[in-house]
Amino acid sequence: MSSADDNKVTLTIDGREVTVPRGMTVLEAAKSIGIEIPTFCWHPKLKPVGACRMCYVEIEKMPKLAVSCATEAMPGMVVHTDSDLVKQGRRAVLEFILLNHPLDCPTCDKGGECDLQDLTFAHGIDDSQFDFNKYRFIRDKKSTFDDYRLGPEIIRNQNRCILCYKCVRSNKEVFGEYDLGAFQRGNITEIDTGPGQQVDSIYSGNLVEICPVGALTNTDWRYNIRVWKTQKVNSICQYCADGCNLTLWKDRQKIYRATSRRNDAIDEGWICNRGRYGYQIANAEGRLTVPLIKRGERQENATWDEAIELIARRFKEIKDKKGGVCIGGLAYPGLDSASLYAFSKLFRTILNSNNVDFRIDYKMLPEEPGDLYTQITSRKFSIAGIENSDVVLVIGSNLINEHPITNLRVRKVVTQKGAKLYTLNPFATKSGDISTDEIIYRAGTVEALINGLCVSIVEQKLASDTVDASKLATRVEPNTVAQAAKISGVEADRIVGLAQALGEAKHITLITGELLSTSITRDAITAAIMNLALLCGMAENGQIGFLSKYANSKGAEKLGVMPLLSDSLIAEMKTLWGGYPEQKGLGADRMILSAKKEEIDALFVMGSDPMLCYPDGQFVREGIEKLDFLVVADLFETRTTQMADVVLPLSSIAEMSGDFVNLEGTVQHFDQAIKPLGQSMPGYDICNKIASALKEPLFESVARMQPDIMRLLLREENPEIQRELREVKTSVEQASGEYTVPLFVVDQAHHFAHLTERSKSLSAFCSEAHLELSPSMAEKLHAETGTLIRVESEVGKVILPVIISEHIDNDVAVVTRNFSANPVNDLQMRKQRVDYVRLTRVEEK
Amino acid sequence: MNFIRTVIIALPKGFYTTLKHLFKKPVTRKYPYERREMAPRYRGKHYLERYDDGTERCVCCGLCAASCPADAIYMEGGETDNGERFAKVYEINLLRCIFCGFCEEACPEEAIFLGHEYEFSDDNRDSFIYTKEQMLANRPKEKPFKRIIRKVRRIF
Repeated sequence: MSSADDNKVTLTIDGREVTVPRGMTVLEAAKSIGIEIPTFCWHPKLKPVGACRMCYVEIEKMPKLAVSCATEAMPGMVVHTDSDLVKQGRRAVLEFILLNHPLDCPTCDKGGECDLQDLTFAHGIDDSQFDFNKYRFIRDKKSTFDDYRLGPEIIRNQNRCILCYKCVRSNKEVFGEYDLGAFQRGNITEIDTGPGQQVDSIYSGNLVEICPVGALTNTDWRYNIRVWKTQKVNSICQYCADGCNLTLWKDRQKIYRATSRRNDAIDEGWICNRGRYGYQIANAEGRLTVPLIKRGERQENATWDEAIELIARRFKEIKDKKGGVCIGGLAYPGLDSASLYAFSKLFRTILNSNNVDFRIDYKMLPEEPGDLYTQITSRKFSIAGIENSDVVLVIGSNLINEHPITNLRVRKVVTQKGAKLYTLNPFATKSGDISTDEIIYRAGTVEALINGLCVSIVEQKLASDTVDASKLATRVEPNTVAQAAKISGVEADRIVGLAQALGEAKHITLITGELLSTSITRDAITAAIMNLALLCGMAENGQIGFLSKYANSKGAEKLGVMPLLSDSLIAEMKTLWGGYPEQKGLGADRMILSAKKEEIDALFVMGSDPMLCYPDGQFVREGIEKLDFLVVADLFETRTTQMADVVLPLSSIAEMSGDFVNLEGTVQHFDQAIKPLGQSMPGYDICNKIASALKEPLFESVARMQPDIMRLLLREENPEIQRELREVKTSVEQASGEYTVPLFVVDQAHHFAHLTERSKSLSAFCSEAHLELSPSMAEKLHAETGTLIRVESEVGKVILPVIISEHIDNDVAVVTRNFSANPVNDLQMRKQRVDYVRLTRVEEK
Repeated sequence: MNFIRTVIIALPKGFYTTLKHLFKKPVTRKYPYERREMAPRYRGKHYLERYDDGTERCVCCGLCAASCPADAIYMEGGETDNGERFAKVYEINLLRCIFCGFCEEACPEEAIFLGHEYEFSDDNRDSFIYTKEQMLANRPKEKPFKRIIRKVRRIF
């Protein structure tokens, strides 16, 4: 037998011969030829456990029925999945499962999509041999059933539970959470949290979706509607750049829930709570439904015609008087591609201005085209490709909050495939709990640390042959491991250990996150990372992921919603539009600076809230106050719309169809679920109306524009990596005076951008900004969970309640942003690499 | 001859029939003052049943709406204070309803019944949207001894 055949087994299932890879179970082998075996506890992404016994099959020469989900396929097996014995076995199993099941299908939310209903109908009998009373879990004497809250959104009804353990298993195996377990045994087994715990992880919504019966339900869907009354709509998550596939369940003009739509290339059937409950913003209270125009001090309702007429008139005045350079545009990178394209086209062809940008939360954007960071981010990345790696290196990213589903893939490769994870962060994060080494560097010294790694790789003679490593010492600063260790505050042997692991690795995935991309020294950090990538041979064997943040950040990059574009993209736009403005455009931060200097008179903000998101509150406030004319299109009233001269109601993603480009560069289409609310309009229609009023329409219909958009989105721009080590000099800032604690402004796990605050379910997890502190730091301040702390920086102060973190162990202040009640961006300074703050306890009077 | 046949004979014959009916019980009813007793299985206007303690039987499972061939039933679920399911909105469009009785048939909680009421005319369409409150109020009053019989039956 050849070696290829060694990995295959041939068996007979229901008289059909099937050849499958060795190690596959009988159940999977049957599935592969289209034979369905009923199951409860089996799940394609979990290890088999054989708890429900529903998947009984008869295997010849075996004394008893075998559970097919846990029986490995063996050569020569003869399997019967539909014999009388199997049918009898299934009937008996269902009888046992229904022993204590309450059969309260009329009140159960799962009714209509319940595995137990379906399988009992298909395989069971409508009678039971048992006539004693059913065992009942009752917590509350008042109600006849046991509904018990496991977390902010999850409700458990133990009577309905059939003990498949899918929730407990997925929680442990896939999400790495240990907050749920099975207690007691026999028929009083209970799925419960540990004492004092609650199920509130970012993945907790999946437990409800995975439950085959109605034992776990969520408050979101609870009792609202029956599943057969809803229609399914294919959608894509509108928050982070992972681009998980969703199904929206709607009836009439309301969306009732979102569930995952398994896509093995991206999400593998798991979605985070932001995606699951974030759809609620479409039906949330407080949506803008009519245009508003500022008359005097107040914003008053107006018609679309009035609003568009005013915008066109003011834009024309400014353009004629001072030129298009005096008009700027900021777009939210979570808008669909058509809106972003129309936005860019409006500015570049009609207003003759290059001032468009989507990077509202970046400090100090580049002022010249062709910066290294933008080049590198346009490279390809694959989430599924992480599985090929034997070392995953995460630099400057709180991965679980920024990209929860990419984090799951990293977890998978580490826990199931034995890869090593190394994290380099200024503070410890939750994703780091499975890492081989979690390196915490002193804030603002990441280049020094990476330089140290490069030097150590060369010293250990592990550098790749494709690059000339001899020049390294002259090009980087610091150029010894000891110096790097001293600057970054990391022990030298840990740097050496990591360098060795990286040098010896066969395939490395490098992931960097927001802590780098929004930093003012992003070019130096990128250069350092590229040096490291060259020395480890990552360009050939591995992938470099500078992960973009928002749902369509990548699309915005490709569609050129940026002021400085590459020459090839400009050439492309010239062929599409027949023209392109001459002057150099301004980035988001320069636009605000120019507004402050009264060089920019009008700003059109579509879908974003710079007043809350730009990392320098005072700066952006001063800039926007100086504007002559501000137009804001948004879903809700925000800090920015309050200052606007014209507010336009924008449709949410559920109210239009379009596409997103996820962090891999995959273009994914989503369908329209409901009609636009009130008079709201999708972004492309707003841009088209303005363009029509000014000069000429941008497009006849969106469908006609689609080929142009796809041409830009599918354009491959994979710039060659320069095969030479770059110069990286480290400049280290020191904390000055009384402000000594480094501040990190991050996203809360359950919130994203300025929108999710409006989601009821997400607010149940967390509804206000917090200050996260290490236990030792909290002790220094005599603070407990909930204590109010005054956080002061040189420019501002905010009072925030404390959360004592389980992970953070160094002296940093981590605050969560994007809560309109606590604008923490007031603490930040645009030119400061690391913001330092002072923490004091608010004394109660 | 013709005259004799049509006038002399037929006229008294006709008067005789009229005279005969003067002494018979009339078949017509004085409708607004006098109403018909409907057959026990007559399917008229719907009503919602309550439990003996006064709580509504309907749990908003949606089976009546699912079984309705005319798509006349609209319902929205909600949660009571003690966490139980109930119908926040329950509406029947009587103009669409064909009084087939499938809803009664499908109801697993014995909550909806088709009663004996047959009078529902109005001058606008809106008043034919039959709400939950109206349906609960429409429940026929049970005679006391019947209730006792029902309770006794339930025990055995």
